[in-house]
Formats: sequence, C-alpha cells, structure tokens
Amino acid sequence: MAATTEQQELTGTPASPRRRGTGRIAATISVFGELLITAGLVLGLFVVYSLWWTNVIADRKADQQGDRVRDSWAQEGDDPVAFGSKNGIGFLHVPAMTGGAILVEKGTTSEILNDGVAGYYTDPVKATLPTSGKKGNFSLAAHRDGHGAKFHNIDKLEKGDPIVFETKNNWYVYKVYAALPETSKYNVNVLGAVPKESGRQKAGHYITLTTCTPVYTSRYRYIVWGELERVEKVDEYRTPPKELR
Amino acid sequence: MSLVPWRYGRDGMYGWIWRHLPGNAWVKALISLALVVAVVYILFQYVFPWAEPLLPFGDVTVDNQ
Repeated sequence: MAATTEQQELTGTPASPRRRGTGRIAATISVFGELLITAGLVLGLFVVYSLWWTNVIADRKADQQGDRVRDSWAQEGDDPVAFGSKNGIGFLHVPAMTGGAILVEKGTTSEILNDGVAGYYTDPVKATLPTSGKKGNFSLAAHRDGHGAKFHNIDKLEKGDPIVFETKNNWYVYKVYAALPETSKYNVNVLGAVPKESGRQKAGHYITLTTCTPVYTSRYRYIVWGELERVEKVDEYRTPPKELR
Repeated sequence: MSLVPWRYGRDGMYGWIWRHLPGNAWVKALISLALVVAVVYILFQYVFPWAEPLLPFGDVTVDNQ
C-alpha cells in the first residue's frame, strides 16, 4: 500500500488530501501571481501600441490621404481647391522638426488627428486660413507621441526656423519668432488672431503650432508661433522655396 | 513532498490551460502561440483603441472646457 502511494506521487497522480489542501493555497497564489504578470505584460503592450503601432497606422492613413490630395491637385484645372472639404487643404513642411510633409486637415478632434495629420482649429477659436489672404492666426494642432507623432520634435524649433505651408497654388513661408514651452491646456489666448503672449500687438499673418508637453504626457501645451514672411507662387515643377532645399 | 513534481497542484491558470490543450508538447506549443497572437490582436484591434481616449495621454489641443 505504501509502495503504491509512493508510486502515485512519483508519477504525479492525485496525492493525499492533506497535500491537496496546501496545493489549493499554492494554486491560488500562483493564479494571483500570473494575473500580476499578465497585467504587467498588457501594460507593456499598451506602451508598444501607443508609441509604435498607432504611428504605423497613422502614417499609413496620412500617406493615403496625402496622395489623394496630391492627385486632386494634379487633376483639377486652375480652380482653387474647395476648402473645408474632408480632404486635406495642404502640407506643412518644418525642416527643423521633421523631414516629411505633414498633411493639414480641418478640425482638431482626435478622430482627425489620429490619422497622423495636423488639424487647424475650428473650436474654440477658428483658425484663419492663409489662403483666405486675411490677417489672423493659422492655428494648428498635432500629436506629440503616437498617432504619427507629427509634432514630436516641436522643441527643436528655434527662432528664425522656417515653417512652410504648401497649398495647390502657393508656398506660404513663415518664420518662427516665439515659443511657449509650457502653458495650461486652457490657455486659448495663444490661438488669438493677435497672440499677445508671443509679444505681437498688431494684426498680422500668424501661424501657431500647439501640441502636448512634456513628451509622453498631456499635462501642458507647447506653443510655437511664426509669422508670414512671404508667399511664393507654385511653379510648374513645384520647386520648393529655398528654405526647403 | 519533495517527490511530488513541482508543477502539480500549483501551476496556476497558464498551467491549467497547458494541461487542457490537446496533443503533445509541440502541438500544445503551437496552439499556445496561436492563442497569444489572438490575444495580442484583440488587444491592439479592439481593447487599446477603446481604452486610449479614457487615458489622459493624447490631448494636444487647447480648449476652454
């Protein structure tokens, strides 16, 4: 009999009741430990998702939408592009921040910005589009991390750096003149037609880039202001202005 | 006690799953891998996109709310 029990233990068949009791506690602890490990893995995966996968998805979407804009520019005649359409209105080139072109679309909801584009404000302060020719503030927002992270390197922008907005017919060349590295997310004054905090007092053609700061958080907002320096006509080869060459 | 295989009775939920998978170790490993891929897919496709707006990491705009 004793020999049989030993045999059973060796082969891993059910042990005595006493042992099963300790086994239950041990099993509970095991499951708890495994849940903790699982939670850790899921959180790790969430970081991978946020900082990598959303970029993959967003860049793909932005490329598609950008191609569509370029196609529509190529097809249409000399009529100005219909603004306010769902399609992008142009591309932002900021060599000091990123090598690629950033598609600009209408609106700053996460649904729009998550496609890896920059959005111009419609709320709480309506942006003035440079194509309108009116004086005002062309205010834009884009993600700092994840979803294309188009404004990730906004802190690399310095006074005098060019921000070029490309539309079908024009290159709008802005120069950075001021930045606010940290401000409240409720500070809507930065979007004003004359952004006083940037030091300007008179109406003019301004551009405002907003994103979140510090990186990987949304605690504050990072603001960069630029002012229109000149407008260049797009030639038949779409030769970029000298700032982009 | 020392004669009892270490995994017996305290191998947690993953051990439980492993024991209930059919086939030999290779088949079990293959099915496990498929399960892991399925879980990661569900997380990336459905769970994380749902959870993300609930977490305060992606707000980039200024507003007065």
